[in-house]
Amino acid sequence: MISVLENSPTLHWLGRQLFNRDDPAAFFDPLLERINPMWVQQYTPAMVTAIYNETADTKTFVLAPAKRWLGFEAGQHVSIGIDIDGIRRNRTFSLSSSPIRWRTDGTVTLTIKRLPGGLVTNWMHDHLETDTVIGLGDAFGDFRIPSPQEPVLYIAGGSGITPVLSQLETMAASDYRAPVTLLYFVRTQADVIAAEKLHALTGRWSAFTLKVYATSETETPQFLSDQHLDEVPGLAGRRCYLCGPKGLMDLANDLLYRRGISEDRIHSTFFSVPAANLDSGTLGGAVHFERSNLDVSSEGDAVLLEIAEAAKLSPRHGCRMGICHQCSCRKTSGTVVNRLTGKASGPGEETIQLCVSVPSGPVSIDI
Amino acid sequence: MKKMNETQLKELEQDLDTIRDQVIADLGERDARYIRRIVRLHRSLEVGGRVLMPFGFIPPVFIAATAALGISKIIENMEIGHNVMHGQYDWMNDTSLHSQTYEWDTVCTGDSWRRTHNYEHHTYTNIIGKDRDYGYALLRLSDDDKWKPAHSLQFINYVLLSVFFQWGVGLHELESERIRRREISVREKIPFLKDFFRKGGRQAFKDYVFFPLVTFPVAPVVLAGNVGANLIRNLWSSTVIFCGHFTQDAETFSEEECEGESKGHWYLRQLTGSSNFTGGKWMHVMSGHLSYQVEHHIFPDLPAHRYPEISEQVQAVCKKHGIPYNTGTFARQYSTVLKRVLGYSLPDRMRNRMLPEFSSAGAQS
Ligand code: FES
Repeated sequence: MISVLENSPTLHWLGRQLFNRDDPAAFFDPLLERINPMWVQQYTPAMVTAIYNETADTKTFVLAPAKRWLGFEAGQHVSIGIDIDGIRRNRTFSLSSSPIRWRTDGTVTLTIKRLPGGLVTNWMHDHLETDTVIGLGDAFGDFRIPSPQEPVLYIAGGSGITPVLSQLETMAASDYRAPVTLLYFVRTQADVIAAEKLHALTGRWSAFTLKVYATSETETPQFLSDQHLDEVPGLAGRRCYLCGPKGLMDLANDLLYRRGISEDRIHSTFFSVPAANLDSGTLGGAVHFERSNLDVSSEGDAVLLEIAEAAKLSPRHGCRMGICHQCSCRKTSGTVVNRLTGKASGPGEETIQLCVSVPSGPVSIDI
Repeated sequence: MKKMNETQLKELEQDLDTIRDQVIADLGERDARYIRRIVRLHRSLEVGGRVLMPFGFIPPVFIAATAALGISKIIENMEIGHNVMHGQYDWMNDTSLHSQTYEWDTVCTGDSWRRTHNYEHHTYTNIIGKDRDYGYALLRLSDDDKWKPAHSLQFINYVLLSVFFQWGVGLHELESERIRRREISVREKIPFLKDFFRKGGRQAFKDYVFFPLVTFPVAPVVLAGNVGANLIRNLWSSTVIFCGHFTQDAETFSEEECEGESKGHWYLRQLTGSSNFTGGKWMHVMSGHLSYQVEHHIFPDLPAHRYPEISEQVQAVCKKHGIPYNTGTFARQYSTVLKRVLGYSLPDRMRNRMLPEFSSAGAQS
């Protein structure tokens, strides 16, 4: 309806003349929100339609996004926006349902574990109710099912199972014939997320093998080892997908590498910013925030968004991991290093992302 | 300005910081609800005003539509735009209420305002020669400017500035007085002028071309109503703003006395250079809480609807340190603004005789 505005350049131009904003449709948001929160234009609204428990500390939230949401591929993440005590918080989670489900009944699921001390995850567990509308971003990420089909090995730990669930369901539904094995590491059997669903999959999809390992049920912790890999037939020919805590992923990477599996056949998915190897010797320097007329020094261990926040500024931001570009702003002088790519910027005026940029020498930022 | 030594200034700084910290620690849901409610009110008034305006050939409807649109512009400029662009709601992390991206419904561009107002005016408040908001380089309001015969007509300038206030504010950054004095060249201002014409054109197009045109048969009515709404907004906001720093007891400062000043000294200057006026709740909302100019100047980035709550604490701090807290009814404060504008249009001798309260021995430091 109103989103037609977005698609016509003339209307878009006109909208800007009339409302002084890049998203003219969002001018009406405060009113639309009252009538029907699903009509909001500034972000894609999604209604929570059901919530159920997976384990003691994990819940699955079923969301029905507004029609204009662009959809996703199995294994991708989304960032969601939730207002907590007046503050909009954005966090990224992987979608745990399959795109087929979204296409049939218009819903997606997020399976979320409480993080100790986690502001957003705990709030969602304790306060998020059905019929609430939250913000949903576009899906992103290149953790994708191989095409054409290839034998696959998943190594997942704890809540790292979520993108894998989405992929398994999608594969089962599309009659994936190549062998698929999942090694799933949990602390105890009670911590298996979506246990029913996984077992049902083994029943109806013959190419699939499920192995659940409880790491903390015996005296000595059971971690991923060569033995586990030995049990996977045809390991060398498999495409490998890793998702879980950093320790597990490092270990898996290491073991697979030693078995001669090349790097480009190993896919990992992260929830935090992977720090490219930065040469700490050249990082840090005086930071000047121009508009606020503030000077602070940095040691090179923090990104500019954190530096600004520590100086009591509140720059606009979203994902805090270099995806959404909400935090983009002008650097007027100096060099910064991008944490994702490890690349240094030029010295002059340019747009940078505050959440992934580390100063390298003195810099001036236009905030 | 009241003389205070560094220890006293330090204590003043701490007292005020305590108030500030309390509010910051308490920010949350309530503030978000407040500003969203005001935004909703603005949208309703604007949509209402625009929809009613074509029916303005019926006189009472014309009045209602013009008033609705005028008030909508006032609320958007004062309580939303001005305050959002001060960063009062940045902590909400809501893109539509963020200081760095907000663009308001007036000729002055957000960027220009952030430079001239947030930075210059709020840093150099009432320092003659540095705060160009003091008199807008158009009016002589203190002894620091030497009287010239041209000043005797400044009341006309004052009226014109009020009527065309949004254009005056929009052109503020041009620094035409410095161009006239050849301190800077027009060429340096070309980027600014480009932005000014783009934004000004946009505002004029919307109110004076687009909306009259789409209601073609009643175009003159819609045009008149839109002109009226802009006029209401211009007169009201200029008046509120003049009451902030041009009242009888609002002090001015010299560059020397503020050189290398401490935070405490800055606080003192904000306290003595600003003035409040009293009124009902809607008076405060319609003035963007600039009726609490004193609180606004010491805490420009605290949500403005909090100023009434902390006003008593601020007064207590002033009392403790023997600093005057400048307030009075709107009528009283405004009449002293008019007196100041008129008084300083006269040669000094005449002013001293006719308006002795504005003589150098009086309120001026
Ligand atoms: S906050 Fe999303 S890119 Fe920086």
